[in-house]
Amino acid sequence: MSEQKTMIKPGIQFHQIKTNKFKTNLLAVFLTVPITKEHVTENAVLGTLLKSGSKTMPNQEKINETLEGMYGAVLDSGIEKTGDNQVLKFYMEVIDDDFLPKKEEILTKALEVLLEIVFDPYLENGIFKAEYVKNEKEKIKQIIESKIDNKAAYAIDRCIENMYENKAYSIYRYGYVEDLEKITPENLYKAYIELIHNCKIDIFASGNFQEDLSKKIQEHPMIKSLPERKENLLREENLSSISQPKIVEEHREVTQGKLVIGLVATPQKELTNFNYITMVYNAILGGGANSKLFQNVREKASLAYTTSSNFVKIKENIFIRAGIEIQNYEKAMKIIEEQLEAMKRGDFSQEDIQNAKNLILSTIEGIEEEQDAEISYYFGQEIAGNQITIEEYKNKIEKVSKEEIKQVANNISMHTIYFLRD
Amino acid sequence: MKKIESTLIKEQAYVEKLENGLTVILIPKPFTNKKYAIWGTKFGSIDNHFIVPTTGNEIQVPDGVAHYLEHKMFEQENGKNSLDVLMSLGVEANAYTTNNHTAYLFECTNHFHEALEELMNYVQHPYFTDENVEKERGIIGQEIRMYDDEPSWKLYMNAMECLYHQNPVRIDIAGTQESISKINKEILYDCYNTFYHPSNMVMVVCGNFKPEEMLQEIQSHLIQKPLQSSITRIYPKEEKGICQKYKEQEMEVSMPIFMIGFKDETPKQEQVKKHIAIEILLNMLAGKSSQLYQSLYKQQLLFSSLDLDYEFSEQYAHILIAGQSRDPQKVKEQLLKEIQRLKENMPEEYFERIKKKVYGDYVAEYNTVGDIARMFLSDTMKGIQTFDYIEQYASVNIEYVRKVLLENFDEKNMIMSVIKEKNN
Repeated sequence: MSEQKTMIKPGIQFHQIKTNKFKTNLLAVFLTVPITKEHVTENAVLGTLLKSGSKTMPNQEKINETLEGMYGAVLDSGIEKTGDNQVLKFYMEVIDDDFLPKKEEILTKALEVLLEIVFDPYLENGIFKAEYVKNEKEKIKQIIESKIDNKAAYAIDRCIENMYENKAYSIYRYGYVEDLEKITPENLYKAYIELIHNCKIDIFASGNFQEDLSKKIQEHPMIKSLPERKENLLREENLSSISQPKIVEEHREVTQGKLVIGLVATPQKELTNFNYITMVYNAILGGGANSKLFQNVREKASLAYTTSSNFVKIKENIFIRAGIEIQNYEKAMKIIEEQLEAMKRGDFSQEDIQNAKNLILSTIEGIEEEQDAEISYYFGQEIAGNQITIEEYKNKIEKVSKEEIKQVANNISMHTIYFLRD
Repeated sequence: MKKIESTLIKEQAYVEKLENGLTVILIPKPFTNKKYAIWGTKFGSIDNHFIVPTTGNEIQVPDGVAHYLEHKMFEQENGKNSLDVLMSLGVEANAYTTNNHTAYLFECTNHFHEALEELMNYVQHPYFTDENVEKERGIIGQEIRMYDDEPSWKLYMNAMECLYHQNPVRIDIAGTQESISKINKEILYDCYNTFYHPSNMVMVVCGNFKPEEMLQEIQSHLIQKPLQSSITRIYPKEEKGICQKYKEQEMEVSMPIFMIGFKDETPKQEQVKKHIAIEILLNMLAGKSSQLYQSLYKQQLLFSSLDLDYEFSEQYAHILIAGQSRDPQKVKEQLLKEIQRLKENMPEEYFERIKKKVYGDYVAEYNTVGDIARMFLSDTMKGIQTFDYIEQYASVNIEYVRKVLLENFDEKNMIMSVIKEKNN
C-alpha cells in the first residue's frame, strides 16, 4: 500500500492509494468545516441535496441511469462528525475496468461523475431547484426524528450530548428540525458557495491505477475554478475531569435498559504516547471477549449480552456501554466501577496486555484490506495533522508498558452516566 | 481437489469432499494479508424436529436450540473459553446462527495456524455441564431482549408469520425466554451429535495460501468419527399460499416501517438463474432509478431507497421489499400498479441497464476475504456453486425475466407487515 499525496492548491489535497487487492475502485470527496449550530443543518441538507441532480444529469433518474450503465457504480454520501468538525462525504465505487464482461473505461467516467455531483450541481435561475430543496429538507427532518429508532445508538448520542452540553461536540451531525424551516433555495445556495469556497477538501482514489490521477484532477475545470483556502479546522479544548459524575436518566419505551458511561482521560505531560497507551488501556477494559467488562459483566455475572468500551481518540474519551435488565442497574454499575478500580491498581497481567495489543495490531493490519477503512485512516491522519506509517503505528502500540497503562488508568474518571430505561 | 473458476472476474476455488464426508472449499487470494476461515454445520433454527441417525429416535427440541448450542460451543473442558483463546491471538473470532445453518469463524493477519487448530479443536469438542448451560441463559435472555427493542427485527418476524402457516422460519432464531428455559445439556448433546458430524458440515478458507498445503493442514486437525448416514429432518407440511395478508404492531418508531413479501415456491432447479432474474426484477420495479421509487420520493412517501431481497433455502423462498414511509398502504398500492405495468411492458433498454447493474453488484462481493468465504458457505448450504452467479449471468434474458415476473409477483401471495408509531 502506498499513499501518494498531492496538494492541488492550498486547502485542497488529493490522496492516491494504489492497491491490487480489490475488484473495485473507490473514489471519494470529503468536505470538512468546523461544526456550528448555525450551519450544521444546512450543510446536512447539502450533503443529500447534491445527489438530486447535477449540470448534465438534472434529476435522480438521470444520475441513477448513468450509474447503472456503469455496471452499478455506487454513489453514496454521508454526514459525519470528526472531533469538532462536520464532514460531508461523497463516495463513488465502481468495478475495475479489468473485471468487466467487455472492454470499457469506466474509471475516468466515474471520476467525472463524482466531481460533477459535488462541484457542479443542478440549478434553476441560478439557485437550487425549489422542489429538490423541499424534498431534501423533509428527508433530513425524517433522519433527525428517526434518531430514536435505534435505541443503542440513541443512548450513545444522548450521553455525548449531555456530556458536552453547550459545546461544539454536542451538536448533532444532521442538525435540528427547527433550523430546517429557515432554509430556502436562495440561502441554501449561498451556504453551498460559502461551503465549497471555504471548506477543507480532500479527494481520495483507491484502486489498481496505472496512471497518476493527480494531473487529471489538477486540470479539471471544476477544480481549477475553486479558490485557494486556509485550512480552518475547529479543535475545542477537551473536557477535564470532574469530581462527581453527572447522572442522567431518560425514560423511553424500552424493554432493555441501555447504559452508557462517558469517561475522561486526562493526558499526562510525561506520557508522550498518551493516545496509544489509552488505546491499550481501553482494549483491556472493554475491547473484546478477553476484556474486563466482557468477562465480568457478561461471562461471570450474566448481566448483559453486549458490553464493551470504545476510545474516541480525538476527544480523549472512553465510552462504556451495556444492555442490561433495568432492575440490574446498581449491580452493573458496581461491577463496572470495580473494573475501573482494578485497572488503577494495575490488576491486569502481562498476558492481558499482550492480548489487548494483539487485538489492536490486528485491526491496524486490517486497515489496508478494506478500501473505505484505508481512506478513513488517511483522512484521520490528515485531520489530526500527524503522519505515521502503519509500521510506526504498530511500534508505538508494541512499546506500551504496564506502568504507563496504570498511570493512564489513574487519570481516567467518570464524567457522565447515562441510562435509558422504561 | 476439483478446481472451479470464473475467468470473467479472475477468481478460482478448490473443492474437496473428504472421506469422512466433510466438504472443504479453498479460495486462494494471493494479494491479501488476511485469512478467513469459517466452519459451518447445516443446522439452523428451522431444524427443530429430526431423527437421530445413530439411535433412530425421533426428537423434537425447544425453539432456539441451534443458537443456544452456538453460544455454548466455545466453553472447553480445561476451563478455557475458545473465544478468549482466539481473541488473545489477536484474531477476530465469532459465530452466528441463521435459519438454516450455524457457523464458527475467525479472521486474521497473523497466527493463522494456531487459530485454525483452536477453531477445529473447539468445534469438535463440546463440553456442556448443567452449570455452564445455566449461566448462558441470562446472556441469551438479554440478547432476546435486545432484539425485542429492534423494530426492524419485529417487522421481519411479523412478515414471516404472515407468509407461513407452519414453516419454522416463523420462529425467532434465538427462541423465546420461555423456550430457552427448557434447554438443558442433554438436548444440546443430542443436537451436537446429530448435526456436528463432518458429513453435515462445510469448511471454507479464503486468503493467501497454497491449496494443497491448506487441505493437509485441515485434515491433520480432524478427529476420527464413525461414518454417519444422512439426517432425516422433519418439517411440518406447509400449505400453499400465505397465512395472513397483513399484520401491524405499535412500537416507538419515528415513522412507520413496512415490509412487503411475496411467498414463492421453493426453487428446485435453476436456483441461481431465478435468483438473478428476481434481483433484476426487484431493481427494475423498485430500485433507485425505477419510476416507482422516483414517484414515491417526489410524493415524499419515501426518503431513502427500499431494501430488496430474495431469501430462499430448501425449505422456504420469499421476496422482500422493505422501507420506511408515512403511508405504507399507498406504497403497496403503487407497487402493485408498477408490477402490472411491468407485466404489460418491459422496456428492453431498461432491462439491459439494470442487468449491468446487477453484474456489478455480484463482482463487488469479491472484495474481502470475509465476504467471499461467507458467500461460499451460505451458497453451499443451499447446494449452490457461487461462481454460477457470474457464469450464468449472461444467460438471463428478457424472456426469462418476464416469465419469472409473471409467475412470482402475484398479489394473492403478497403480505405486508407494518410497525407503526405509538400514539402517546
